[in-house]
Amino acid sequence: MGGFFKKNGSIISTFFLIAITFWLIFLILIPQLYMLDLSFRPNLPPLLRGGPDDVYTLTHYKHFVFGSETSKDAYNYVDIGVFVDTIGTAILVTIINLCFCYPIAFYIAKLATPNATRLLILALIIPFWINELLRSFAIRILFAGEGVINNLLLEMGLLDAAVNFIALDVALYTGLTYAYILLMIFPLYNALETLDTNQLEAAKDLGSSTIRTHWRIVIPHAKAGIASGSTMVFMLTAGALATPVVLSSPNTFWFTQLIYQWFNMNDNWSRGSAYSIILLVVSVAFVLLMMRIFRVTIGEVVR
Amino acid sequence: MTSNRTFQIFLGLYISIFFLYLFGPLIIMSVTAFNSAEFPSITPWECFSFRWFNEGKIAYDGQRLAGLAADRDLHVGLITSLFIALGVVALSVPIGMSAAIVLTQVHSKLRTLFYSMSIMPVLFPGVVIGISTVVLWDRIATIGGEGIISELGRNGIFLTILGQTCFISTYCFLIFVARLQRFDTTQEEAALDLGASQTQVFIKILIPYLMPAIGSSAVIAFLASFENYNTTVFSILSEQTLTTVIATKVRLGISPAISALAFVIICLTLVAAVLYEFFRRRQEKKKALESAAKMYKEISSDRLKEDSKKAFILPKSIFVILFLFLMAILGWQQIIKNNLYGGECIAKAEDAKKSNFADQLKLLQNNADTLESEGGDGGTGSTNEYNDIFGDPNLFKNFGGFDN
Repeated sequence: MGGFFKKNGSIISTFFLIAITFWLIFLILIPQLYMLDLSFRPNLPPLLRGGPDDVYTLTHYKHFVFGSETSKDAYNYVDIGVFVDTIGTAILVTIINLCFCYPIAFYIAKLATPNATRLLILALIIPFWINELLRSFAIRILFAGEGVINNLLLEMGLLDAAVNFIALDVALYTGLTYAYILLMIFPLYNALETLDTNQLEAAKDLGSSTIRTHWRIVIPHAKAGIASGSTMVFMLTAGALATPVVLSSPNTFWFTQLIYQWFNMNDNWSRGSAYSIILLVVSVAFVLLMMRIFRVTIGEVVR
Repeated sequence: MTSNRTFQIFLGLYISIFFLYLFGPLIIMSVTAFNSAEFPSITPWECFSFRWFNEGKIAYDGQRLAGLAADRDLHVGLITSLFIALGVVALSVPIGMSAAIVLTQVHSKLRTLFYSMSIMPVLFPGVVIGISTVVLWDRIATIGGEGIISELGRNGIFLTILGQTCFISTYCFLIFVARLQRFDTTQEEAALDLGASQTQVFIKILIPYLMPAIGSSAVIAFLASFENYNTTVFSILSEQTLTTVIATKVRLGISPAISALAFVIICLTLVAAVLYEFFRRRQEKKKALESAAKMYKEISSDRLKEDSKKAFILPKSIFVILFLFLMAILGWQQIIKNNLYGGECIAKAEDAKKSNFADQLKLLQNNADTLESEGGDGGTGSTNEYNDIFGDPNLFKNFGGFDN
């Protein structure tokens, strides 16, 4: 500590310490810990907080698994269903994104000329400067009942009646895939860019097929990028709120919407906290799983 | 060779599809902003108009659809968003910088822990960050009683700044870490040896070196804050930002005014991207020229100079400018033709709709009338007689009236 002050001078050291403490303790650690604490407490009006009723309980987690006490079902099929749906869709979206982006990232990194690379990257970034809500809105215009796709298909005579893409969740899945595609491409591109082109040529000269080259050389080289991109896309998709708000059908729920409902409409903050904790735990577990599968460090995942 | 050719075609097709997927929705959305119809669409094209950028419209059935310029909620939200974004930049850039500098000074075990903690917020869902900020500050406000703490704890703007700073600081932190990795520490040592104080070294050497990172992290922080919805929607409480206003509007029913807003944002983005690319190219050219000039000094050969004179060629960007100019003229003509806002066309369409509406109303009334009369026929005997008596004008004619 003394060394630290000596190295930076007292004024700047103090500034550093204040900034970092404020961030790590006040903005990151304490809010999360307090939320964790709240998730184990009953839902009480503010005045009763800290009173005799304010004891630790598992009510909210129990509610997530078994449902409310008045319901007849053995398990809380609604909430668990939403949760499984959300996670399953997030995994699906991640895989689709990975397959969809890999050729593009490879093309930009290895096949395109330097000028084309720069232009393509710029072209990739531009759509992502536009708000997620507005991008979802664009998808909604395409897929709405009187939307562009329906009108086009009807006019061409391919359809007899308008298809409700929103109710079928086609719009939602398209929107989610669309929303975070950049976060898959960039890690992939960064990883592939460092691949030595000579390796590819050597493989080709030795008679390896394109697919084999990719499987044995390119993909192992890009594994940090794959891990990083997949983690980011999964986390953001599972925790997405803007896209489902715009695109989900009235009878489909996203887990974040469930949290929102407990929190804002039903005013049950501690249950909202408990559900948030569940989402948080799953997200962190997914990161750890990716780190384990691809054998990368957390520093390589977040870059 | 043929397989290579098909591969090329296939690749080209794939890339076109990919970029169509990226840009198609945005282009279509932009086009719908200029259609005067109430529902954002292209195919039943009503009129070319700017109404969604201006006052919007009051629909014939009384529903009010505000355009961009007339939407007060949007303006208030925009100002709040800007204010929050500035607050977030002011907090997260210094935090990210301090954390990155300190990271270079701590060692091994502590370093890993510190690094993991610093990047953790990126791995939290935005929703979770918003909720945790709100619940903590609500508690603080309750304990704090009356006064400034309680007011702050229930102020949506303050909470949003804190919540967003939590994870945006990490973005800044990562940018600074990347820049600091290439920092030559001998510079610092040299300055210290020459008698500079620690503070002087920081201000005169480290800060100038970090200037590009400060700039880019400020831009990133601003944009990230401006776009954020997931955290904001929880922490904003009773206030409204641009994103929450948009979300509310989209949920209530989709209006072309949102397309208009998106179009404005897309244009701003494009201008920013073009300017960025332009300045980058100019800087690169400048560098190339400088190095070329150096070369002239070193080997002042005539041949090279002649080459440089000949090298004056038309820059490619002139075509882009020409194209834009043409598009502008075409667009302007369209505007003139449509009497600035396409007023005539809209009026016509409106009339058509109104008459359509009126026709339908008439049809409904007629139906109701026939139903009523039919209902009358099917009624009791006495009303039937009444109907017959009073329904027949000839009855009074024959009577002749009282005056005569």
